[in-house]
Amino acid sequence: MSANAGLPLGFAFWFLAYGSSWVAAEELGHQQAKVVKPAIEPVAPAAPQSSNPTASQDPPGSGLSLFLSNGCGACHTIRGTEARGTIGPDLSHVGSRTAIGAGVLPNTEEAFARFVARPDLFKPGVKMPAFDMLPQTEIQTIARYLKALQ
Amino acid sequence: MPGSRAESGTASSNATAEEDVVRVANQPMMIRLKHVVFGAIGLPVVLLLGAWIGFFNVGASSGHWKVTAWFLQLAMRSAVRTYALAVDAPKTLDRRGLPAAAGHFARGCAICHGAPGELRSPAVLRMLPQPPDLALTVGDWTDAQLFRIVKHGIRFTGMPAWPARDRDDEVWAMVAFLRELPKLDPNEFRVLALNGSDATDSDRQPATPDVISDCVRCHGGDGEGRGDAVPALAGQKEAYLLASLQAYAKGDRTSGFMALPVTGIAPDEMAALARYFATLPPASGEHDQIPAEVINGGRQIAEAGIPERNVPACAGCHIGSDKNPIYPRLDGQHAAYLEQQLKLFRSESRGGTPFWHIMATAAQRLTDDDIRAVSAYFSKRAENSQQPP
Repeated sequence: MSANAGLPLGFAFWFLAYGSSWVAAEELGHQQAKVVKPAIEPVAPAAPQSSNPTASQDPPGSGLSLFLSNGCGACHTIRGTEARGTIGPDLSHVGSRTAIGAGVLPNTEEAFARFVARPDLFKPGVKMPAFDMLPQTEIQTIARYLKALQ
Repeated sequence: MPGSRAESGTASSNATAEEDVVRVANQPMMIRLKHVVFGAIGLPVVLLLGAWIGFFNVGASSGHWKVTAWFLQLAMRSAVRTYALAVDAPKTLDRRGLPAAAGHFARGCAICHGAPGELRSPAVLRMLPQPPDLALTVGDWTDAQLFRIVKHGIRFTGMPAWPARDRDDEVWAMVAFLRELPKLDPNEFRVLALNGSDATDSDRQPATPDVISDCVRCHGGDGEGRGDAVPALAGQKEAYLLASLQAYAKGDRTSGFMALPVTGIAPDEMAALARYFATLPPASGEHDQIPAEVINGGRQIAEAGIPERNVPACAGCHIGSDKNPIYPRLDGQHAAYLEQQLKLFRSESRGGTPFWHIMATAAQRLTDDDIRAVSAYFSKRAENSQQPP
């Protein structure tokens, strides 16, 4: 007897085993596709470099140059700088406020750093995106700069 | 009939006759129950036993029985037809992604499905089922059915699902290319898919990895991007190019077109590729006719944003050399590519560098018209227009 004789039976078996979940597995297959990634060793993301020294009179790596190079000025104004955004609060004297984040955080350098990294944790529905992808040292530098804006 | 005799009042009702009637009436019921019991328990056990002892031949060499092949074909074709009913096909296919789709076909699909001037490998012909020569068979399917097959693959065959989720735009580009495939002669196919192939080997820099042939197939030897759907890389910021390659490799940025070539690029090769394309002279901007008011609307968004809808100015991150180098330069980029990326950002289906969600936040506040205008503006914007040379 040919071994092929089992094929139709084999298919019937497979159908019994899997056929019922055919449609449900459609969704599962979609889920599984999400985790398929190219087989590549993960490599550390390129660390954002500090800003180009030629374009600004501020020293590279200073709080203001980090503030501007990362785009904060598109939403915030700091008078006397290129930052003229109007979507977020004017930060010209933010360091002298009594509290930040609609009053939930004290006005300290540490609080500024935490707010810049994850504003959504302190102010639900906040329009500002999180900047926790920035290196911690850059966030600290920006926080120190903001606290000094009296 | 025994039943009618039992019910008739004229027949004698002795015990023997009643017993007879019950036995005759119940006999078929007993047989049906036996069948059901055997079918529900016995048959699966027999099949399981058959599979367990290795009775079923899973070899591809001898082919299916005719009836099996017929059944599988029927099931496959019917399923594709039925599931394609839910696919919303565009009236006309967007042809801007043809070069990228053709390049992907040459790299990923042609080995099994053949291509103009390229026969299927003899090994592939021994697959079961044998992958079809698509130039001959795409006519059997509607656009929606082809989309369904390319996006989801076909189970129990070698046909894989699309390697990136949420990239229907790429799948539609493949469908548009498949519609062209039967019309292409070998030369036309090579020009469309491989960009004339070895054109870049001669003027390539020595430090460039071999994998660059995979890049130029779609991005062009000049790095300007072949077809409006493919981004220009020439003159792009090196940090952004490197971070994007890494994002593709880790699966943080979704693209079926990029998923294949990025596989197997070593980290130092990625750095070399990023450097190579960053040093090419940037594209000079597009020459499509775009109405001036659209461009001006785009300039307004780019330079001032839309404050009443909380859209920040693009310039805050994307214009000027003092910006974080991981934010891409957009000047002279293809408008169609920018539009597509903004829409992918808006639906959070793009991913990207670790900074992608900043862009998603902004894109979610843009309308289709905003996206068209701002993309047109940047595609026209000349390099260094705000800075002295």
